This record gives sequence, C-alpha cells and structure tokens, in this order.
Amino acid sequence: METLFAVLIGLLVAAGVFLLLSRTIIRVVLGLAFIAYGVNLAILTVAGLRQESPPLLTLEGPYVDPLPQALVLTAIVIGFGTTALLLTVALRAYQVAGHDDVAAFGDNLARDPDAPDGQHADPEHLSPDMPEAEDADETDIQMAELERLRRITR
Amino acid sequence: MNPEVGEVITSALPLAPILTPLGLGLLLLLPLRRGWRVGLALASALLTLIFALLLMNATLGGVLVSELGGWKAPFGIVMAADRLGSFMSALAALCGVFTVWLMAAQPDPVRERHHSFALTSFLFAGVQLSFLTGDLFNLFVAFEVMLVASYALAVLGSTREQLREGFRYIVMNLSASALLVVACGLAYGTLGTLNFAHLAQRSAALGPNTTVTAVGVLLLIVFAAKGALFPLGFWLPGTYPAVPHATGAFFAAVLTKVGLYALIRVFTTVFGQDPQLPDTLLLVLGAVTMLYGALGALSQREWRRILSFTVVGSVGYLAFGLGLDSPDALRGSLAYLAVSVVVTLAMFLIAAVAERASGMRLVRARGFIEFLPLLAACFLLCALTVAGLPPSAGFVAKYALIRAGLEGGTVLAGIATASALISSFITLYALLRVWSSFFWGRHPQGEPVRRVRWPERLPAYLASALVVALAVFAGPLLGYARATADELGSNGYYILGVMGEGPLNLPARPKGDDVQEPEDGP
Repeated sequence: METLFAVLIGLLVAAGVFLLLSRTIIRVVLGLAFIAYGVNLAILTVAGLRQESPPLLTLEGPYVDPLPQALVLTAIVIGFGTTALLLTVALRAYQVAGHDDVAAFGDNLARDPDAPDGQHADPEHLSPDMPEAEDADETDIQMAELERLRRITR
Repeated sequence: MNPEVGEVITSALPLAPILTPLGLGLLLLLPLRRGWRVGLALASALLTLIFALLLMNATLGGVLVSELGGWKAPFGIVMAADRLGSFMSALAALCGVFTVWLMAAQPDPVRERHHSFALTSFLFAGVQLSFLTGDLFNLFVAFEVMLVASYALAVLGSTREQLREGFRYIVMNLSASALLVVACGLAYGTLGTLNFAHLAQRSAALGPNTTVTAVGVLLLIVFAAKGALFPLGFWLPGTYPAVPHATGAFFAAVLTKVGLYALIRVFTTVFGQDPQLPDTLLLVLGAVTMLYGALGALSQREWRRILSFTVVGSVGYLAFGLGLDSPDALRGSLAYLAVSVVVTLAMFLIAAVAERASGMRLVRARGFIEFLPLLAACFLLCALTVAGLPPSAGFVAKYALIRAGLEGGTVLAGIATASALISSFITLYALLRVWSSFFWGRHPQGEPVRRVRWPERLPAYLASALVVALAVFAGPLLGYARATADELGSNGYYILGVMGEGPLNLPARPKGDDVQEPEDGP
C-alpha cells in the first residue's frame, strides 16, 4: 500500500513540476494544485496506511494515528484558499496582459524603467499610484491593443 | 495582585500580540469612514507594540508558554515566547507602527476601498504568530496567514507590474510552502511529534539520523526561499518595488527576517545534533548571497530596487553568521538582525519620501540636498549603517560577525568572511552612488520638485533616529544579543520552559470498550 502511495505521490508531484515549468499561467496554477495533492497524500501516508483501523476511540481498535489526518485537513483548507487566490490573480493577469502566457508580462529586471507601466485590469482599478500621470489617449491606445490581443487569442 | 490573576496574564501574554491585530483587523473589514479605519489600524499597531514590549520584558525571566485549550505541551499546540521570539515580535510590531503611519499619510482610496488596512493587520497577525508559535505545523499555518495577506497586498491595485511580480512571488512561495508541509510530515513520521521542544528532545534521543538531517535540509530550503537566500531569492528585488511605499517598507524590513528567524529557531533549538551539512550550506549560500546582493545593488538605477538588493545582502550576512555556528557568531547575527530590520525600514521610508519628492522611481534627479537636507543626512547615516562603517550600529554588529568569522578557523569561514568584507565595500559604493546622484550636485532647471508633507517625511526621520539610537545603545543591544545567544546555545532552557520539569506522563493506551458509547443513545 505504501509503495503504491509513494509511486502515486511521485507521479503527482512530477506532473505538478512539469506543469509548473510551462509558460501558460493556468498550467502553473494547475501544477501547484497537483503538487499540493501529492504533498497531502504524503502526510496521510505518515500515519501508516492500514485497513480497518479507525482513528476514533469510540470504535474497536487497533487505531491509526489521527493527527496526520487533522494536518491534511488543515493543509487542504489552506491549499483551497491559496488556489482560489491564485486563480483570481491569474484571471486579473489574463485581463491585463491580454493572453495567458507569462511571456506577456515581459522581463522584469531588464525593462526600461521609464516605460509606462499603468495598464489596468478593470476600470475600477484605474491607476492608484500615479493618477495625474495617466494620459487619456494613451489609455485608449492601450485598450485598443488589449482588444486586438484578445481577438487574436480567441 | 492575586497570584492566579498574574498567572492568567502570563499565560495569555504570548497570545496578545497575535490576537490584537487579528481581532482589530476583522473590525477593519466593516464599512467605516477613513478616519475610523486609520485610528483602528494605528491603535492595533500600537497595542501590538505595547504587548510585544511587555512580552519582551516578561521573557527576561524565562520562557512564557500559553497552552491553547489547556492541553499540555506535546499534546496540544502551544505559543512559546523566549527572548528570541519576543525580540523579533517587538521589532516587527515597531515596523508595523511605521507602516500604518505611512499608509495613513499617503491616502490611496482605491486600495483602501479593497481593505488594505485590514490586510495589513492580518499580515501583522501572521508575522507575530510565526514568531511566537512553538509548533512546526503551526509555523506552516502562520506562514500561510502571513503570506496570503502579503499575496493580496502585493497584487492589490492590479497594475501590470504588480501582477507580474506578484504572480512570481505567489508561485515561488506556494512551492516553498508545499515543501514545508512535506518537512512537517517527515518530521512527524520520524519523530512522532511537531512541538519544537519535543522535536528537540526526540531528535537528541535518536542521535544522528539521515531522515532527521533530510528534514533539516528541507526546512533549510524552505526558509531560504522565504528569506531570499541566493538561488531562491530572485523574486525579491522585483516584488518589493512594485507594491506601495508603506507596504513595501514592511515587506522589506520584516518578511525576509521571518524566514531567517525560522532558520535560527530550527537550527539552534530544534535540530542541533548534526550541524555539519546545514552549516556548510548556510555558509556557502550566505557568502554567495552577500555578493549577489551587493552586485545587484550596483546594477540597478531605481530607488527601491537598489534597496531591495541590499535587503538580499543583509540576509546573506545573517546566514553567514548562523552558518559559523559559534556563540559569538550567533550574538553578532542577532545584533545584525535588529540593526538590519530598523535600517531597512528607515531606508525604505527615505526612498518613499525621495520618490514622492522627485516624482520618479529613478535616482538620477540631482541636487535634492538643497530641498531635503535632513533627508540627505539621514540617508548618508543609513548608508553607513548598511555598509557597516564606524560610528554606526552596523559597524558594531558587522565587526562582531567578521571577528567570529576569522575565529571560525576553517577555509570556508575565511572565504565567507572575505566575501562579507568585499560585499560591504561594494554596498557602500552602490549606496554612495545613490547619494551622489540624488542628493549631490545642482538640481537641473525645469525638473519638478514636489512638496512632501511633513506626516510623510516624519516617519523617515524617526526611523533614522532609531538607527542612531541603536548606535548609541549598541552596548545594551549586544548585551541582549549575548543573553539571547546564550539562551539559544543550549536548547535545554527552551525545552524545560515548554515541557516543564516532570517526566512526560503518557496516558494509558485506550481500549475500544473503555469509551464505548452506550448502545441506547438518545
């Protein structure tokens, strides 16, 4: 049983790392989810995988250690929250960058520091940092570019 | 005072700095006016600071433990505050006060509508929890609380730069968290416990063990990623300049130090018996990180990117001190930790004023000494402190570190010490270049100079005053660091404080029919 689990965890984490290394944002998110599944199974294995041994004292023994199951539960809940947050960020990134590829973000350290960096995800988030620096014409051009990219990706 | 009341207060004190920002953060989610929000956030930060200082005072007498749900140490989760934890907690709370002040002074309606004050409060709660928890899995939870708040703050506002850097930051930290969960599982599987003190006892009883070393190295990788040690720190110099000034200052001053705190905690208190591999790794990574930080600072042209690289460098010094594994080096590291937190805070607050005054993120505006003479003096002072030149607190701490490195004796320690000296000089050059290209010279005609109101300027000056205070009170600081290092030197003190005197009474193995539910239930 443990060997089967070890192989399964290995496969899950390998798939996760493979997806994590790709350039598509949604694949990165899925990769992290796969890694989280593998890790959760790993903790579950720690308690020992025996059949017919309940974690609760109200049933007939022998018992299995209940603590790792509690840990897995906590890890699942936290993983759920972070995945939801990451999906939200991925959606925003897609709205801003126009397509689902991390290359659309451009490189960070080599970029021109004077280049305008104020494209926004939605009208609600109009440029909180430099409101007066925003040029209406420029925004229109950027929005047009955004529309064009969206049409291409569709 | 009634002794029972005193006992209740002592046992509740380690919880106070965690619950205060958490509770008031929940209140901040209510639809309040801005004035109320600012007041609540400031009250939360100040109360946290007061509780943290009380805690620091109380831990002078011994380890303070609060047992959640009344369960004794290895069975339940405990909050344990020793000198190290309460010291870090006080430093973080201090930075929190400055952060909230700057947030209040720089109104940002869009981000505030999306609860930046509440998120900052949750961030404080997570940071305090990670400093005060006495349980490995609870440390993971604390990291997640802290990081989820920081993820949200990093992308709040959704500018293109924030999303780009924030996504990188989130993915990096989530991968590290997955490794932390694996390390928790391995530790529980091998040693059968997650409580720090109990882990220390059990791993000492087990002796050198390959799996325990593997757990140690896994934890080292995790905390190196959170603390931005060399190969795992590429996310840092991009992320911190992308967030607003106040949040960026807190991120830079405290968040990397949480990773460093966890490293110190794990490798002094918990896994002390097989130090060879982690120490070598820490020395090598520390030496490379220092050089990487210094050279990176030299290569950048934007205020906060330069400063972010100096943060990376300071992490390298701390890893170096920890890797030397001697009481003197630990004392130097702890003193440097305090200096580095305060000076990073001061530098980022200065950068906030400078960026607002010149209206751009580059440092090429010249002649600002004419408009902001006091700021120029503060920056020069902080630059000397970061580089570690004499009359500053940075000199005292770095001197202790370098001396410990020279006393280390091994070739590796010698190389790392040389790297520390070289990178100090490079950092000094990089920061003086900032000073000369921003403050020195004649201001070009036509370039705008914006007035920065005094509530925005005052935090920078006050934080610089704290840097001066650290230099003046370097003696007491080193004394406290010495006492903390002594306390960490043998983990018996912590174990005794958390687990108590008596032998561990394991309850008798339960039988199924002992607790059998009555057949005829309600």
